[in-house]
Amino acid sequence: MSNFLYLFRGGDARRIEQSPEEMQEHMKKWGAWMGGLKEKGQLVDGLPLAKEGKVVHKSGEVITDGPFAEGAEVVGGYLIVSADTLNEAVEISKGCPIFEHQGNVEVREIMSMDM
Amino acid sequence: MAEKMKDQLVEHVFRHEYGKIVSILLSRFGPSHLEHIEDAVQESLIKAMNLWAFEPPGNPTAWLLRVAGNQLIDTLRRKKKMDITANTELFDRGHASPKEITLEHTINDSQLKTIFACCHPAISKEYQIVLSLKLIGGFGNREIARALLKKEEAVAKSFTRAKKRLKESVKTLDVPVEIGLRSRLAIVLKVIYLMFTEGYTASQGEVPIKRDICLEAIRLALLLTKNAYCNRAEVHALIALMCFHTSRFDARMDEHGDLVDLEHQDRGKYDRELIQVGIGHLEGATVETDPSDYHLQAAVAYYHCAAPNFAQTDWQSILNLYQMQLNQQYSPIVHLNWIVPFHKVHGPKKAFLELMKFEKGPYFKDGALFYALKAELLAELKDYLPARAALQKAIYLTSNQLEKKHLQKKLESYPSTPT
Repeated sequence: MSNFLYLFRGGDARRIEQSPEEMQEHMKKWGAWMGGLKEKGQLVDGLPLAKEGKVVHKSGEVITDGPFAEGAEVVGGYLIVSADTLNEAVEISKGCPIFEHQGNVEVREIMSMDM
Repeated sequence: MAEKMKDQLVEHVFRHEYGKIVSILLSRFGPSHLEHIEDAVQESLIKAMNLWAFEPPGNPTAWLLRVAGNQLIDTLRRKKKMDITANTELFDRGHASPKEITLEHTINDSQLKTIFACCHPAISKEYQIVLSLKLIGGFGNREIARALLKKEEAVAKSFTRAKKRLKESVKTLDVPVEIGLRSRLAIVLKVIYLMFTEGYTASQGEVPIKRDICLEAIRLALLLTKNAYCNRAEVHALIALMCFHTSRFDARMDEHGDLVDLEHQDRGKYDRELIQVGIGHLEGATVETDPSDYHLQAAVAYYHCAAPNFAQTDWQSILNLYQMQLNQQYSPIVHLNWIVPFHKVHGPKKAFLELMKFEKGPYFKDGALFYALKAELLAELKDYLPARAALQKAIYLTSNQLEKKHLQKKLESYPSTPT
């Protein structure tokens, strides 16, 4: 078993047009998806991230408002999920409701230090 | 976290919260900032959607109010539209969330003011309904369009125009007191009633949303009862009327989505609990004299709900109620509907003679209901050929597809040769 990091990007553009009822529906799906992972003991950790952020370049001399030129690049949150292989982790990520809003998930294996 | 969410975030919480927060901000900042208010509340809900799946807050309303309020103040400051010294204590960062009791009171108070603003006499009926559904009910354009069988763009357009009208007509939100309340309240009740009718009308709009519109109308009427000035007998009568009708929602359509008429409805499917709630309000609506139109209609609806089956309906009482309605204020449509209980009490022959009086009058001789009734009475008199002709005319005149289909089925049940 390894741990994998899911980074959620984008999706906000679609959300602006949604009605409150549709938003609640969408949130329910997130809750159900994460709830399912938790039940199977695969959800290790996770939190949403604020939209605003800074990126520090050149030993702190240059600070920009993040690497993202547009909304689609904004990382909205992360999860840490345990799975056997990267492929399995990718398969699990396919159930993520972010795809309904044309967002995407980046899946990265978290390296174990005691190898 | 999934279980936790189920406990705290009941159904439609987003929609209801939308209406609450918009109302609070509207009464605090005034209708001139309506668009900014809508944006701020929308933003707060998006934030909620992104965060609450991880961890729902203890008090969703207070959370949203703080987020939306801060966002709105930021926007207004940026646009220099607000005096920085203006009283914003409720929303100031770092402040503890407002006390729940005060918040509850603020919500009721603001929503009540918002209803009166949306139903301002200078705004047309159509706009009053759109404004109420959107700003208080929290319905989306797409949902309203689907429920009312309109184009989404049409709903969006009329909402934009309605908002413009609202901003022109209403500068500050308030509930009229004593003088003027009665006539303003009458308009509010009418709008709630029309909103309910939009939801209740059998059309091919999506049933769950239509039901929500009915429930929203009931919720708004209940909100009125929380204000001492608005808590009047006719409000309770209207609530009773809406409860009785809504109780029949499930029985009104069969499993294929086809209409089922009163005679063939499965009365086991009536919502007994809602009927009880209705009875409670009807009892609370007692008046010494001059029952309102809502009283009389509620009583009719009650007799239908209370009857064990169609044949055992108390038609005499229903006929009396229709008669009272007609005596109070003559309306041709009530008169036409009066034929139904009259027929049940006095038989098809007399009813047919009454109906024929319409043929000479100015009303309904080209209406679908007139011909449907005519067909019904003729069929009972076993005069099938003219009955078929009348029914065909009714089918031709109906624009509602569900009703067309229903009448078509009826036509097939009539013998095509005289017996």
